[in-house]
Amino acid sequence: MTPARFVRSLLCIGLIASTMLLPKPASARPGAVALEKGHYLVGEFSLDRHLAGFDAALKSTGDFTLVPKGGLIWQTKKPFPGTTILGPTGITNIDADGEKSSVVGGNAQFGVFVDLISSVLEGNWSALENRFHVEFSPPSEPEWQVRLVPFGESAIGGQIIDIVASGTRYVDQVRINKPGGDYDDITLTDQQAKALPLPKDKASLLPGTTAQ
Amino acid sequence: MTGRHATAWIICLVMAAAWCAWQIGGGHTRIDADFISLIGQENPEDSDMYNDIDNVRHVLAQDSRRAIFMVSAPTRERAINAATDLGGRISWINGTEKVTTPDDQAGRLPELLAFFQPHATALLSPQDRKALKADQGAKLYRRALQSIYSPTSTINARSLRDDPFSLLPHYLAAMAGKLGDGSGVVHRDGRFYVPVIASLDPRLASSDRDAQWVNDANRIVATLEKTPDIEVARSGQVFFAAAESSHAKADVKRIAMLATTGIVFMVGLVFFSWGPLLAALITVGSGILAGITAVTMIFNTVHAIALVFGASLIGIAVDYALHYVSIDPARGSARKRLRMILPGLTLGLITSIVGFAALSISPTLLLTQIAIYSVAGLIAAYLTVIFLLPFLPVQPVRNYLPIRRSVAALRYAQYSITPPTWGRLSLVMVILAGFAACSHYITSNDSIRNLGHGNESLIKQTITIRDVMGLGASPMFLRIEGKTSEDRLQTEEKLREKLSPLLENGTLGGMVSLADIIPSQKRQAENMALVRDKLYAPFAAQLAQNLPVNITPPDPAKASFLLPDAATLLVLPELANLQSGKGDLVRLRGVQDVAALKTALGDLENVHLIDPASAISDLFGRYRHWAYLALGVAMFAALVLAVFRYGLRDGICVFGAPAGAVLCALAGSFALGVPHNFFTTMALFLVFAIGADYVLFLAESRNSPHDQDTSLAVLLSLISSVLAFGLLATSSVPLVSDIGTVIAIGLIAAWILAPVMAGRRSMNPAGHLHDLVQDANEDEDDEDMYDDDTPTHRNQTHDTQGHGDA
Repeated sequence: MTPARFVRSLLCIGLIASTMLLPKPASARPGAVALEKGHYLVGEFSLDRHLAGFDAALKSTGDFTLVPKGGLIWQTKKPFPGTTILGPTGITNIDADGEKSSVVGGNAQFGVFVDLISSVLEGNWSALENRFHVEFSPPSEPEWQVRLVPFGESAIGGQIIDIVASGTRYVDQVRINKPGGDYDDITLTDQQAKALPLPKDKASLLPGTTAQ
Repeated sequence: MTGRHATAWIICLVMAAAWCAWQIGGGHTRIDADFISLIGQENPEDSDMYNDIDNVRHVLAQDSRRAIFMVSAPTRERAINAATDLGGRISWINGTEKVTTPDDQAGRLPELLAFFQPHATALLSPQDRKALKADQGAKLYRRALQSIYSPTSTINARSLRDDPFSLLPHYLAAMAGKLGDGSGVVHRDGRFYVPVIASLDPRLASSDRDAQWVNDANRIVATLEKTPDIEVARSGQVFFAAAESSHAKADVKRIAMLATTGIVFMVGLVFFSWGPLLAALITVGSGILAGITAVTMIFNTVHAIALVFGASLIGIAVDYALHYVSIDPARGSARKRLRMILPGLTLGLITSIVGFAALSISPTLLLTQIAIYSVAGLIAAYLTVIFLLPFLPVQPVRNYLPIRRSVAALRYAQYSITPPTWGRLSLVMVILAGFAACSHYITSNDSIRNLGHGNESLIKQTITIRDVMGLGASPMFLRIEGKTSEDRLQTEEKLREKLSPLLENGTLGGMVSLADIIPSQKRQAENMALVRDKLYAPFAAQLAQNLPVNITPPDPAKASFLLPDAATLLVLPELANLQSGKGDLVRLRGVQDVAALKTALGDLENVHLIDPASAISDLFGRYRHWAYLALGVAMFAALVLAVFRYGLRDGICVFGAPAGAVLCALAGSFALGVPHNFFTTMALFLVFAIGADYVLFLAESRNSPHDQDTSLAVLLSLISSVLAFGLLATSSVPLVSDIGTVIAIGLIAAWILAPVMAGRRSMNPAGHLHDLVQDANEDEDDEDMYDDDTPTHRNQTHDTQGHGDA
């Protein structure tokens, strides 16, 4: 073993040891890796909306930016460009012409999705435990799966039958089963954790987060 | 009054007690403690006169069923979790009907979407309507496309067919915002605010369980606030009512303790016997029992205020008992002693009955209930004195007691200052002139804001909730009239246009009308035409290329419109808040400038601005006028009675005592800053009735052997009444304090004026021994002392004694 290889080995062992000794974030649960504090997640999505009675799914693709406790920017590129922002103040839409509209503001009837979608994509199951039964797949399996079933008396139970999320490091796949046989398949790819602050263009869409 | 009479009367009282227990204990007669239910409860034939009040009752009743909590935390997650926790705990409190959190609002969405979906093209949010009118259909088209692919979309196969442009979610969002319950999480100044709204059982407000509900809720809030960073604000009528009630109850409890102790101590000290105390208790008790029996026999529901005012006849009934027990037992048998006081007692009863019966001439159920309670109660107290008290043991007042000597000294003082008849008549003229002056100078203040204590903390929390969430409607509202619901809806739509400038410049914080939720059919037809011409016509084909559905333009001719019918009320029970009888109500929020609002309403027909505080104050103003009228009738009746009994001049003088007491109470309390309202007028009634008793007792015993005993009875009566009512003046609750002040001033004035106006009397402060000898001789004859003693004879006897003492 050359000195250089020895040093590299030491560094490697040190790195592994330090990783093991580091306290895990409180929200880390089996099957999900929580984002470190001060980080956000970016990636691409594909949303297939299946409506009962229609053969073809309504398919859309685009980018997303997820800031834990900050909000979600959902930028659809195809078939039509548009941005949906799920922020602390509610849901805002920006169409292809840059026309901004607060679709529902802080309206409770729709605002529940702000928490739901953001928490699911983040893999923050603890935030959902007051509304859902959370079932984890066995930790031995490399690709984990989490199933969220709304509580019987839960208000959201009338809109969602269950949510199944799966992935390896982050949440890669989400299926939202709705009453009447409708379901949404969301696939997340090319996900990367980045350190805050957000780039200026994104920060302007999510008030409360700092820009670069 | 024989043993048989007493037995019969006891049986009557026992039956009355059984009746009361069955009626009230068994729930057959409801004791209504709800302030709101009192408002506008008029006798049936007058019900059409108080339309505004009916609406106020409706609005207040709706608002009283809602308790608003606002949970705040530094993070959204913590705020929502705390709100969910709070909602869960509140729902377990006995009296909570339903708890609504933002999650629950979300839970209603499928039901609302399903109900409104068939009418989707007729229902436009104000923004969408404005956009279509401005030819901005393209904007809505782009939004529809985006909505279809949004991760938060609520679309399904049916909604795509019925509402391909996703107009309905925007309409529902606007509707929820207006209804006030739709607010979700609000982010402001680094904190997240979540509303939790509790709907309360309607029976809670009319029972005494509301205080328990508030206690339980406050305990839950306190537990929640132990968590760092969690804050909870609360608002709602139930909290204000409980705070006010608890404050008043604490005060009255303290005063009642003091008064009871004082009266028991006084009677014990004066008589050294339990007999007089028992006599006072059974007289008062039988009065209250008979009062409750009478009102429960006539009314299915008795208001607590009627019971409280009725129970104030304790002050009169106790006089009857004291009047009897103060007569020295050495003056003769029980029967003889009773006969001594009977004329005064009977006259006092008749005067009080006429006074309280006069209250029933008003159209208000409350005053009628007070009148019936009081009349029945006083008659029962009178009968108890006649039938039962003679069977109770009595002890003479010890001569060596300071009170006996004080009475003697006071009698001497009164003798010295008592003017001759012309002087007393002049005093009556002055009193009448005083009334004329009072009617000119004394202004009334019926504002209900003067009655309560106010709770700074609750007011602050209410303002915070209103500012942050826009929750909690203003007490002001508009009443919309119209022959049909369509007429009213169209008026409401015009109203919104009129008030738009005020809404934009912040003069008006917000408003919600039925038309905001269910547009008029005319407006729905217009909406459909707009959607068809400005949205479907240019964009339906483009949208259809992207959706796997056939898009059919709406046809107003074939459309079924949404109506404010029972089916809609079932889905949106909140709409009950916007309807009252045959009219609609428009709820206002944050009215900053009432004058500007009135100006904006201008000549809009069938729209009436109603301020509940003013409406209730006006109602109490009407009650006050009825009470004044009844008081006038009572005083006139007393004058007539006095003139019949004592002749013209003496009668007028006797009448002057209660009248002077009322005048002193009126002017004195006004000088002390007490606002004059319905409740203080009712206090004047009490002053009049007790004052009349004082002077009648003294006038009847004038120049008779038991004159000094009567003076003592009147003094004891004053002490007990001041202890029972005068101490109320020390209360921190304005209403209670005001009543106490009026009664205290009035009774002291009555006590001073009664012997003066009753006329010159014998002066025998220390020499009643001769009376006893005289009485003993009369006892042997067992004759009616009052009938057999000629005034001349008595005058001679006592004048001689008086001069001798002097």
